[in-house]
Amino acid sequence: MSSRDFVYSKFTEFYNNSSTVIPAPSSFEQREFAYLMFKERFMVRHKRFESMQVFQNVLARNVPSDVYHSCAYYESPDLEMDKKGWIGSDLVFDIDADHIPTSCGKIHDEWTCQKCEFSGKGITPEECPICEGDKFSAKTWPCDLCIESTRIETGKLIDMLTKDFGFAANELHVFFSGHRGYHVHVEDESVRSLDALSRKEIVDYITGLGLSVIDKDTKEKPVKGRKRAAATKKFNLHDYGWNRRLKVGMSKFLSTATAEDLKNLGLKNKNLFKNKDVILKRAIEDGQWDLIPGVSVATWHKLAEQIKSLESANIDTVVTTDIHRLIRMNGTLHGKTGLLKIEFPAHQIDDFDPLTQAVAFKKGTARVLVSDAPEFRLGGATWGPYKNVKVVLPTAAAVMLILKGRAEVAN
Amino acid sequence: MMDRTLSIEPVSFTKSDIAKYPFLKETARYLSPLDLQIEDLTSPSMHQILDRAMERVTSAIIDFTVRPLIGAQGNRYIIKNPEKEIISFPVAIMLVSATDNSLIKKRYALAEAKQATSELNSESKELILKIALDFGWKITLAPFDSAFEFVLYFSDFLQNASHLHDAKWKLINSKLSKGDVYLNKHDVVRLLQEEVKRRIEKRLNNTPIDRYPPEISELAEKLKILAAEHIGQAETEFPKVVVQEAFPPCINALYDAASKNHHLPHMGRFALTAFLVNIGMSPESVTELFRSFSDYNERLTRYQVEHIAGERGSGTKYTCPQCSILQTHNVCKNRDDLCKRIYHPLKYYKIKSEITTPSQSGKLGESSQLKSN
Repeated sequence: MSSRDFVYSKFTEFYNNSSTVIPAPSSFEQREFAYLMFKERFMVRHKRFESMQVFQNVLARNVPSDVYHSCAYYESPDLEMDKKGWIGSDLVFDIDADHIPTSCGKIHDEWTCQKCEFSGKGITPEECPICEGDKFSAKTWPCDLCIESTRIETGKLIDMLTKDFGFAANELHVFFSGHRGYHVHVEDESVRSLDALSRKEIVDYITGLGLSVIDKDTKEKPVKGRKRAAATKKFNLHDYGWNRRLKVGMSKFLSTATAEDLKNLGLKNKNLFKNKDVILKRAIEDGQWDLIPGVSVATWHKLAEQIKSLESANIDTVVTTDIHRLIRMNGTLHGKTGLLKIEFPAHQIDDFDPLTQAVAFKKGTARVLVSDAPEFRLGGATWGPYKNVKVVLPTAAAVMLILKGRAEVAN
Repeated sequence: MMDRTLSIEPVSFTKSDIAKYPFLKETARYLSPLDLQIEDLTSPSMHQILDRAMERVTSAIIDFTVRPLIGAQGNRYIIKNPEKEIISFPVAIMLVSATDNSLIKKRYALAEAKQATSELNSESKELILKIALDFGWKITLAPFDSAFEFVLYFSDFLQNASHLHDAKWKLINSKLSKGDVYLNKHDVVRLLQEEVKRRIEKRLNNTPIDRYPPEISELAEKLKILAAEHIGQAETEFPKVVVQEAFPPCINALYDAASKNHHLPHMGRFALTAFLVNIGMSPESVTELFRSFSDYNERLTRYQVEHIAGERGSGTKYTCPQCSILQTHNVCKNRDDLCKRIYHPLKYYKIKSEITTPSQSGKLGESSQLKSN
């Protein structure tokens, strides 16, 4: 049996198993459904189903590698794009390790230049160091640290959505994506009709773009003779939205920052470190920003800039602003890992462990020849590292290694 | 979110309120017993109304206002003939719709919205609240001890503020807490202006009449002639040849990346294509240009370019995204001084191409690709 056939048989079992429960998305009949055929590799789109039962039968028959539904609600989801009749769309956020710097440095990812076949590890370069080609094939890996980095970003997002946007934690649908990231869906009536421009404003809020208090355009070097006017320009923060976040973030940062931390920030001002307590009290609590000896407006700007990058959340900007987006369906398999997209309560973001909870194939083992795999954790156990060895692994681990291009079924 | 049901008072608007703000839902309730039909408009008894409607639109086209008919009563001004004022509004809407001219529609909607703003500025908080509630906004008066006057739910704030360019209207700079944006009266009036404008534009584009009585069509023609004199050209004129020196920095960066055959993210590719199509390059030239960058999928590129140019699908010609959208998606690069003064890459090109002499142009690919259509 080929490796691909092995995985296909597991996906087939999953979609044909009567105990597989795929939760139906809300407003089911107004959603567009789509799926990528496992073997044929083409996308079936613009589908509408009358019930989840009917759709589940279709999935069992067709066995896709990936299943999606529209974030949007349509009058006729099965018509072509221009004729669907857009009614509204969920507000959706995607946080994916592919798009963000992670603490592991992606050392487990492998790239190969398509032109000269030179390969390396870590983040895929812009240009091949050998032949300057810029097309690569990449083998990624969903490591603990990657997922941890996205979890932190998701936590910050959830904090903003609850405290600033006022959504109750149970109004947020939080999911592990099935690969190396998280999705957050808001289905509240009040956000459904927001247009792309309004959603862009929400994205800018989450990513910290365009914050006036530290905007470059407002702190440009003044022309000669106007120096004094600029110097007396005050720094000030109110108690709402991002201004409040900056204050809280500054408090948090200053109370633990070492002289070294401040230096790394380019804040050479020694006073900032010496007078930390004074600053916390006088500036952040009492709002007397201009009364800290030796701390200039420019220093505040620098500190605020740093806090902004610490407190903002790194989301995929395109996903949230696209009001016709398809998103992976909850309870279905991810074609790159064989893991489930799975929902969990927002308040469990710190404790939920996707690498145990999202495992779909819980039974059986398989003998595989692993070419190269880092040490990894899956389903409560740790495996590897492996280099050109035949091993017997639980089905879930074998499927993941095969889908990641790191193992073949050993006959 | 706060419980908003407490502060809603079921007080209806006065006739004078409806005359000042004829776009309210209340207007429909006021008009429905009259059961006006389009044919009635040409009857002699309606002449005055039709004249007033014509006056609304004419003054909107000429000097951006709809000047209500006011008279003095004691020491204050009041609307002289509220009935005429109220009925003339839907009639004006119909006249503007009959022109089927997007510039007149925009101008009229803006004039009505500005007129409403000038009235609203002197209204009480309570009446402003009532109007906002009529629009379905989730809004309340701020608590007495608050430094603000209104509390507005963020989604209603966004629908209107996202169209305003000043940094103070960005959500990230707003006073947001628990889903509510804290605002003063002046801010709410400004947001209401946007709402009024959007609503009137929507009504103007949403009239199900396909044949107007000849008298009405005649008046619409008159308005079109007037608009041609006062509003100016529909399309922004770009130079006949492509002036690459006038490209904004973001487009230059995308163009460079594309010419080196680097991978462009979807938004970047879309922005570059839409920019080139909008400054007048033909879809063939754009496809040809992408071809000259060697390795590319011709069928896919041609399809995408033609789609953006409006030659496929819905027939909508896509415009290049505005600067703020390119910033959100990290496509905005190397901002320069001119960038700080404009909101749109096409505006940048327009301004800079006017100060760039044509002889400097011509580096964009082969000369055959330079001709715009």
